[in-house]
Amino acid sequence: MMDEQVKAASKPLPETPLPGKPPRLQGSGAPTWKIWANPIFRRYCRSRLRLQGLSLWMLISLLISGFLFFIIRQGMLRWDGMDLVDAERTPLIPLLIFQGVILFLLGTGQVAGGMTAEADEGVLDYQRLAPMSPLAKVLGYLFGLPIREYVLVLVTMPFSLWSLWRGQVPLGIALQLYGIFFTAGVLYHLTGLLAGTVVKNKRWAFLVSMGVIFLLYTVIPQLAKFGLAYFKYLTIMPVFEECYPHLIPRDAGAAAQALQQLLPSAKFFNLNFPQAVFTLLTQGVLILTMTVMLWRRWRRAESHLLGKVWATGFFGWLQLVLLGNALPLIEPGHLFPSRGFDSFLGRFRMGGDWQPEEWEPVVMVGAYGLVTLMMLWVMMLMISPNAETRLRGWRRIRKLGRRRFSPVSDPATAFPWLVLMVGMGAVGWHLFAKELVGSRWFPGQELPTMAIAAFLLVMATGGLGFHALLEGRGPRAAGMAAIFIGVVPIMVGSILGTMGFSVAATWLMGISPVMAPVYASGVMLPMTDAGADIMRSLPRAFWFWQFVGTILTLRLIHWLWQSLRTK
Amino acid sequence: MSEVTGSAIEIRDLRVDYGDFIAVNDVSLSIPWGVVYGLVGPNGAGKTSTFKALATLMEPTYGEVIVGGYDVLESTSAARRIMGYMPDMAPAPSDLKAWEFLDFHADTHALGGRAARRERVEECLGIVNLLEKRAAWCKALSRGQTQRLVLAKTLLHRPQVLILDEPASGLDPLSRRELRLTLQKLAAGGATVLVSSHILSELAEMCSLLCVMNQGRILSSGTEDEVRGELGRSDRLLCVTMVDGQDGLLTWLAAYEGVHDVERDEAEVRFGFKGDNDGQADLLAAMMSAGLRVKTFEARGSSFEQILVEVAEGNREA
Repeated sequence: MMDEQVKAASKPLPETPLPGKPPRLQGSGAPTWKIWANPIFRRYCRSRLRLQGLSLWMLISLLISGFLFFIIRQGMLRWDGMDLVDAERTPLIPLLIFQGVILFLLGTGQVAGGMTAEADEGVLDYQRLAPMSPLAKVLGYLFGLPIREYVLVLVTMPFSLWSLWRGQVPLGIALQLYGIFFTAGVLYHLTGLLAGTVVKNKRWAFLVSMGVIFLLYTVIPQLAKFGLAYFKYLTIMPVFEECYPHLIPRDAGAAAQALQQLLPSAKFFNLNFPQAVFTLLTQGVLILTMTVMLWRRWRRAESHLLGKVWATGFFGWLQLVLLGNALPLIEPGHLFPSRGFDSFLGRFRMGGDWQPEEWEPVVMVGAYGLVTLMMLWVMMLMISPNAETRLRGWRRIRKLGRRRFSPVSDPATAFPWLVLMVGMGAVGWHLFAKELVGSRWFPGQELPTMAIAAFLLVMATGGLGFHALLEGRGPRAAGMAAIFIGVVPIMVGSILGTMGFSVAATWLMGISPVMAPVYASGVMLPMTDAGADIMRSLPRAFWFWQFVGTILTLRLIHWLWQSLRTK
Repeated sequence: MSEVTGSAIEIRDLRVDYGDFIAVNDVSLSIPWGVVYGLVGPNGAGKTSTFKALATLMEPTYGEVIVGGYDVLESTSAARRIMGYMPDMAPAPSDLKAWEFLDFHADTHALGGRAARRERVEECLGIVNLLEKRAAWCKALSRGQTQRLVLAKTLLHRPQVLILDEPASGLDPLSRRELRLTLQKLAAGGATVLVSSHILSELAEMCSLLCVMNQGRILSSGTEDEVRGELGRSDRLLCVTMVDGQDGLLTWLAAYEGVHDVERDEAEVRFGFKGDNDGQADLLAAMMSAGLRVKTFEARGSSFEQILVEVAEGNREA
C-alpha cells in the first residue's frame, strides 16, 4: 500500500516552467459564458440538487402552486361565475407572488447565506486560488448558489404558463413580466452575493445583506414619491403596473388600463420608453456595476469596490437618469408628492383644479440635494485609499521604478475625482431646482443666480471636507466627525425644536452637513409658510455654517495635500 | 513582471502589518528546488502570515515574494498555477462528499474530462490513504482525515511548490509517517515543499532545511545542526547506562573534551555534551574503544522542543 502511495506521489511533475514566462494552464477552463461548464456552478448543482433534498422542496412547491392555481381558478369559475378566460387569468398574480417569494426571498437568502457559509467554513480561499477568471467565479456563485430556487420556480411555471395561455395574455406582456422578474432576481442575488463577499464579520453578513436589499429595493424606491422617479425602476413594480391590466379579468383590466393612461410612462428627457425597457436598462447598469465590484474583489481581495473612473462615471450616470426621469414629469405635475398621493387615493383630478403645495418644491429640491450628497459619500467611501493602501502603493511603484501613482489606481488620492463628482452633483441639483421653480406651477418665480454657488458650496463642504478628513486623518477621525458633526447636532436640535426653541434648533442643526441641502433649498427657494423666526434664522445659520465649513474644508484639504506630499 | 530566479521560493524583506502590529518583520529567505523546508516557531511567530503572503492570499505591507520565478504580486495567476496551498486547520465543505470535493477542485484546475478527473481524484485519495472514505461526507471525516483530504486536494494539479501550513496537526503517528514519506518523495521528484509547524521535532524528521521564526523575525535557518549551533543551544544532555560499574565511565568522561556537568544515580550517568551529531557519534565510538561496557546511550533534553520552549518563554518574559 505504502509503495503504491509513494509511487503515485512521486509521479513525474509537470515540466518546470521557464522563469519569466507564464506556464500553460493544465488544461484551460471553458469560456466564461458557458455557465453549465462552470465548475462552481456545477459544484452547487451537485450539492443543492441532490434528489433527496430537492424532491421534498419540489413537492412542496408543486403542492402550493397547484393549490393556488386550482382553488382560485375553480373558485372564480364556480362561485363567481366568471368567464373561463377571465378565470384562467386569476391565479397569475398569486402564482407570481409565490414565485417571487421563492426566487427573491429564498434565493437571495441562499446566496448571501451560502457565501457567508463559504467564508465561515474557510473554503473561500480555495476558490480564490483556483485558476478561473474572476468573472467566472462571480457567475458560478451567482447562478450556482440559488440553483435550487430556480428549479423550484420552474416547477411552478406550468401553472403560470397554462394561465398565460388560456387566459389569453399577450405574449409580449408575459415576456416583459417574466424577463424583468428574472433580471430583478439576478439583481437581488447579486446584492446578496456582494454583501456576503464584502462584509468581514461573518455573523453580520447575512443580516447586512438583507438590510441592504430592503434598503435598496424597498426604502430607496420610495424616494420616487419625492421627485426622484428613477429609483422606482430598481424594482419590478413599474413593469408589473404596466402589465397588471392583462393579468386580471378583462373588464377590470380595461378599467385599470384606462386609469393607467393618466399615469406617466417612463420618460428619459424627451424620449418615451416602455417601462420594461427602462427597468431593464436601470437594472442592467446596476447589475453591471455590482458585477464589476465582485470581479474586483475576486481579482484582488484588497481592491476598492469600484475603480475611480467607474465610480465617477456611475455617479454621473445616476445624475443623468435622475434628471432624465424627473424633468419630463414636472410640467404634467406627476413629480409632485401631493399629486402622487391623490392618485394613490384614487382622486385623479385634472390639471385645472390641482396646484402643488408651496412646501413641495422645497422638500423635493432638498431631497435631491441630500440624495446627491449621500451618493457622493458612498462613492467616496468606495474609492478613497486608507494609509495602508497608500503605503503599499508607494512600495509597489518604487519596486517598479515609477515615480508616481496612476491617477486611476486604488492608492492614488480620490480628491480630483471627488471634485469632479461635486461639480456634477451641484450642476445636476441646480438644473433640477431651476426647472422645478421655473415651471408653469410657480408662475413669476425663478431660482436666484447665486443658487449654483450655494449648491456648490454645500457639495464641496460636505463632500470634499469629509473626504479630506477621511483620506488625510483616517477612518477613525472621519467616523467621529460623522457622529459629532453629522448626527449629534440634528438629534440635539430636534429635541430643542420640540421644546419650542426653534431658532436655537435651526442654528444647531445647521452644523450638520446632512441638513445643508435642506437649508440650501429653504434659503434659495421661495418659502413663506414657515414661522417668522425660522425664516429669519435659516439663511443666517446656513451662510454662517457654510462659511465655517469652507474654512474647515480648506484647512483639511491643506492637511491632506501636506500628507500626500510627505509620503 | 516576473523575475528570473534559481530558487523555488525567494522572499525579500517581507513585512506584514495588521494595523500597528507587525506580524512579519523584514524576513528574507531563499528556498531551493527539490527540498522539504520547514518553518517553525511558537504561535504568533508569523508563520501563517508568511504563508498567506506566499500563497497570494494576502498583500504584504512591502517586500518581494517570488514563487517558481513569478512575483506573486505582479504575476499572481501564474504563481497560483504552480503552487498548492493548504491552510492551517484546513477545512472542507460540509455539503460535499470527499470525492466530490476533490472532483470539484480538479474541475477548477481543468484537469480534463470526467474520467481523467476521476482517475486523478482516486490517485490523490490513494496518496493520502483515504480511498475507503471516498464516498463519505466531508463533515463526517475526523480532523486528521479532513487534513489528509485537503492535502489530496492540494496535490491534485501536481503543484511544483507546495505550501503546507501545519499539515501534521491532528494526524496520528502512522499518518504523520505517511505524510513525511509522501512529502519527501514529492521533493525527490523535484517539487519544493514548504511546511510549518510549532513542533520542531516533527519538522526535523521530514525537512532537509529549517528556519526558526519568532515574533515575526527569522532567528536561524539552515540544516538542523546549523540551526542548533546558531541558536547557541548546541549542548545535548546524554544519558548512559552501563553493564557493570559506573566509576570507570566517570573517570573517562572527566578527561573527554566537551563533557561537563556530570551527574550520576543508581540507574544512569547524565552529562552535558557540547557537540553536533558527528561529535556525539565520535564520543560513543571512543567509549567503546576505551573498553567501557555501554548498555544504553541516549540523547535527551536540549532538543528542538527545548529550544522552542526557551524561545517562547523568552517571548513571555519580554
